[in-house]
Amino acid sequence: MDVLLNEDEEMIRDGVRRFFDAECSPDRVRGIEDGGARTDPELWRQLAELGWLGLALPSVYGGGEAPFTQLTVLFEEAGRALAPVPLHPHVVTALALAEAVGRGECGPLAATLVSEACVGDSLLTWAWSERLPGMGPETIELSATADGNGWRLNGHKGMVEAFEIAGHCLVAARTQTGGSANGGLTLLLVAPNAPGVSAVARRTLAGDFQSEVHFDNVYVDGDGLVGRVDEGWDLARPMLQRAMVLNCAMIVGATRRAAERAFDYAKERHAFGHPIGSFQAIQHTCADMITWVDGAELLTREAAWHIAQGSDAGLAAAAAKAFTNERCQAVLREANQIHGGYAQVREYDQQLWYRRAAAWSMRLGTSMEHRRAVAQALEL
Amino acid sequence: MDFGFSEENEAFRAEIRAFIAENVSPEIVQEMHDGTQGAGIGPLTKDLIHKIGQRGWIGMSWPEEYGGRDADIIDQYIFEEELARARVPLNLGNFIEQAPAIMNAGTEAQKQYFLPRLVRGDVTFALGYTEPSGGTDLASLKTRAVADGDDFVINGQKVFTTRAESSSHIYLMARTDPEAPKHRGISIFLVPMDTPGITVRPLWTLPGGRTNEVFLEDVRVPKESMLGAENEGWNIGASALNLGRAGARRYCIYVSPFEDLLKYLQTDDLGRDIARDPVVRDKVAELYCEAQVARLFTMRSLSMVRRGQNPPYEISSEKIWGPEFQVRTTEAASQILGPYHQLWEGEAAPNGGSFPRQYVNAMVSTFGHGSTQVMRTAIARRGLGLPRE
Repeated sequence: MDVLLNEDEEMIRDGVRRFFDAECSPDRVRGIEDGGARTDPELWRQLAELGWLGLALPSVYGGGEAPFTQLTVLFEEAGRALAPVPLHPHVVTALALAEAVGRGECGPLAATLVSEACVGDSLLTWAWSERLPGMGPETIELSATADGNGWRLNGHKGMVEAFEIAGHCLVAARTQTGGSANGGLTLLLVAPNAPGVSAVARRTLAGDFQSEVHFDNVYVDGDGLVGRVDEGWDLARPMLQRAMVLNCAMIVGATRRAAERAFDYAKERHAFGHPIGSFQAIQHTCADMITWVDGAELLTREAAWHIAQGSDAGLAAAAAKAFTNERCQAVLREANQIHGGYAQVREYDQQLWYRRAAAWSMRLGTSMEHRRAVAQALEL
Repeated sequence: MDFGFSEENEAFRAEIRAFIAENVSPEIVQEMHDGTQGAGIGPLTKDLIHKIGQRGWIGMSWPEEYGGRDADIIDQYIFEEELARARVPLNLGNFIEQAPAIMNAGTEAQKQYFLPRLVRGDVTFALGYTEPSGGTDLASLKTRAVADGDDFVINGQKVFTTRAESSSHIYLMARTDPEAPKHRGISIFLVPMDTPGITVRPLWTLPGGRTNEVFLEDVRVPKESMLGAENEGWNIGASALNLGRAGARRYCIYVSPFEDLLKYLQTDDLGRDIARDPVVRDKVAELYCEAQVARLFTMRSLSMVRRGQNPPYEISSEKIWGPEFQVRTTEAASQILGPYHQLWEGEAAPNGGSFPRQYVNAMVSTFGHGSTQVMRTAIARRGLGLPRE
């Protein structure tokens, strides 16, 4: 037991931070958002070259086969830097495909995509939630009906990241109705340009885009199947857990940076003849901020550790997400309060961290939903 | 990052559990409980402490030359955790809290005398820090120690001196140089409680336990009873205080009301009915998440100490989060159980009436051993480098 970063994890943290400090300035982040771009292709190319897109993917496909804990550290740093690239959907989808490949539960397409994902040749994303804000399997209504060797998809997905620029999207569909909510789900790979697919991209609080995607009798052939028919939950459950933990890591990374900016500001900004950081009201707020973000980080890392161990991370991931969503929002709020009027000004950088970390906390399940899962896991 | 315990750790945990099952009877627990209510340490408890000492479990992470067994600090954590989980009201941590300071600053004679006796439970310290005029502003203490030949003569008063009535010694902070800046004129003395001039008066607390006032009137002690150099007492004491705020025992105190509440809602007929309410479930789940943070803060402090670091702010975070979580839990439990929560005794009292006791006990955690406000100031200044003025 040693909950601090080990040498390998420190190396990842330091290396990734050095890279982003040099390559991913707030101006660059701002430029991507202001230009309405979906990604930063040059940054993406560099991440691929450094081997970070495939950090935790199997080495036979060109990945680094690093433990999930190291990947979590990478995501903390990507969040800290507000890296304007679709790292989260890409890695979450690639890991799910790699798991299916490892289980021998998919065709050759998935294996090819994992190889391409490592070098950044193919951008991957996934589509889960529909109308309701929750992430439970009961929210999946998009239907897939068998048609020859493949399926026909009808329905819609609500919030899909990087959909228009993705090569493939892993879509959760219902192949069987009735029975339990967990049963009857199937995961299928769909090309965003397939006939019958239409998407509308919408700007978010984070300044990025999420697409509402409609499927009108879209055909997916047998090679698009990932995992087993009707038993997609087997793959989806660990995929959601990984997605939640990596999302928490990004929130924690960005929130810590927002807090550090507030601490620095409190040392420099003077009022009534003193730096405001000398006032107890500010000092005690800062003490709470570091305590809350540290708590979120430890919960997130413990959940990551469970995943790396191959043990069930359901309870740990739900606890991390429920806590991180709310406590990190509170840290961001206090960081704004310390900055005062400047926090609301667009040309001042603080808002870049605030809007993104806040928006990320609204994705992948609400705190209420995750606490419901916690209560259930505790057999209340 | 490694959040798991090794096979050796788990084997040790099993050993402790077996020991508790075999040696801790309800009669002993009752006697120990009475002990915290002012009855002193009874014969069954003394026997149990002796058995624990024989196995080398008190001070087990100390060097062997001082009576420890050089064990991993994690084993110490597991030992304290298991004892607390079994709700054994035996605070062995208090026996040895001052030992690291004696190891660091003591003379060879002091180490040889105190450390083996601490391990055996033959020497126990009451903590003589807080005074009527100041606890949080500890450095402003007024108790005076004046050199007189080969002795010091001590006059003053201490308060909230828990276990002064049953301890063999008091770990006493006194001012030896009234002209120096307030942090620089303080020394520490290791004084037997039976020294003439010491008077102990009980102060009974809300949970039913006892603490004390200690009056010091012309208490004459030899110069050899001073720990460390004259006027260096502040640095010796402050470091011990920081490390003394971490550990499994405190973490278990913070989370025990939550664990009792959870168990009641999971297993009791009435509890299960109450726990059907989605609002209650949401609250309990929120508390669960917060309890994990309390646990992880303790594991973090432990990891840092194990790497030889003296955590600059992390222990203070632990000492804010844990106690305030404990208070939040008891207040939430009071509204989850409603009228049942107030019952101190009787068959209808959930969990044998432990809840109201925990309710009034929780407040002690947020001001005992350093108030949460002082902890916040310490984090801001020491941890984040915020300016004094």
